[in-house]
Amino acid sequence: MPIEQEKDDVIARYLGSELSSVNAQLPKKRKTLSHLLHEEHPRVSCLDGSEHFFRIDELRYLASILEDRERDDLLLPMIIEVHSGRSDMMVRCSRGDEEGAVEAKVFAEVLDMPVSVEKTGVRIYRSQLGAMRRALKTTTQYVFTL
Amino acid sequence: MAAKIRIARPTKIELARLKRRLRLATRIQKIIKDRLSILVMEFLQTVKESADVKERLQKEYHDAYKALSLSLGYHGYALVEQTLMISEMPFSLHAATRNVAGVRLPTFQMEENREAPQAVYPAENSSLLEYTSDTARKCLSTTVELAELQSALELLGDEINKVKRINNALEYVVIPGLDVTIKYLSMKFEERDREEVARLKYVKLLIEKREAYAY
Repeated sequence: MPIEQEKDDVIARYLGSELSSVNAQLPKKRKTLSHLLHEEHPRVSCLDGSEHFFRIDELRYLASILEDRERDDLLLPMIIEVHSGRSDMMVRCSRGDEEGAVEAKVFAEVLDMPVSVEKTGVRIYRSQLGAMRRALKTTTQYVFTL
Repeated sequence: MAAKIRIARPTKIELARLKRRLRLATRIQKIIKDRLSILVMEFLQTVKESADVKERLQKEYHDAYKALSLSLGYHGYALVEQTLMISEMPFSLHAATRNVAGVRLPTFQMEENREAPQAVYPAENSSLLEYTSDTARKCLSTTVELAELQSALELLGDEINKVKRINNALEYVVIPGLDVTIKYLSMKFEERDREEVARLKYVKLLIEKREAYAY
């Protein structure tokens, strides 16, 4: 029976680091749309030390969809939660209340169809993801959860 | 491929540790599979976009060369050359990065500097030269867009390969290896328990026999 303790330890260490590195690209702190519109080069810092830049065209597009008050509520980048083994994804709302979900308004406008808003956020499906990412490339980000 | 049994000490603590590790590996594999599917989706989308932009760029270059040849024909080579030499296109290119599922992709943004002094054309009232200049500007902006998409394609392709290798390693080596080792250890402990029961029964029988002889 072969004993490969060293190799086994390497695998254990690797598995641990892989889990922590999968979501390292998340922003340290999100910024509001109105705040980003005033920056010359709109960006946020990520957990891994890198920077995530926003396209000005996209920010302007979002601003055209939303009213002035709503621009202060929308936190960017919008985080898309990918749950393993499920075909739907959640986008957490900036504000808790269902009625005023700014994200729901944005997605409904982008997808050109009503989206289902729940207590925890806006539910979107994989078939809708492509269209959404095409329009909002830099203003959305993924997070992987179990 | 037969999975190897990796074990240092055949103990119950080791078995618990292996079970914990198997759970972790399975969880990570699920996340990696999700990441892989997202990366593939992004890659395919980028391929589509890239094809569209390439087609658009070809059309724009066609228009630009057509406009240039028209200008050359109308104004003559000397004047157009003189105009090209003194004219300038005031713009800046801002290069940055964006993150897609853990992959850092470049983004280029062309910004026209409206405050910069406008170029003076010798043939100032020529709409042809203005049109040529506009088409050239469009070509440049689309070329920058295509450059961004092409580099995104390369980076996404590399990452997909990497994630695929990790997924395969987990699926075909690590998880089966842990499964086999756990099964081997469980069987070993069960066997040990059975031996223990048999030994106890034998000892009990011996004691009973001894007690019977004593009477």
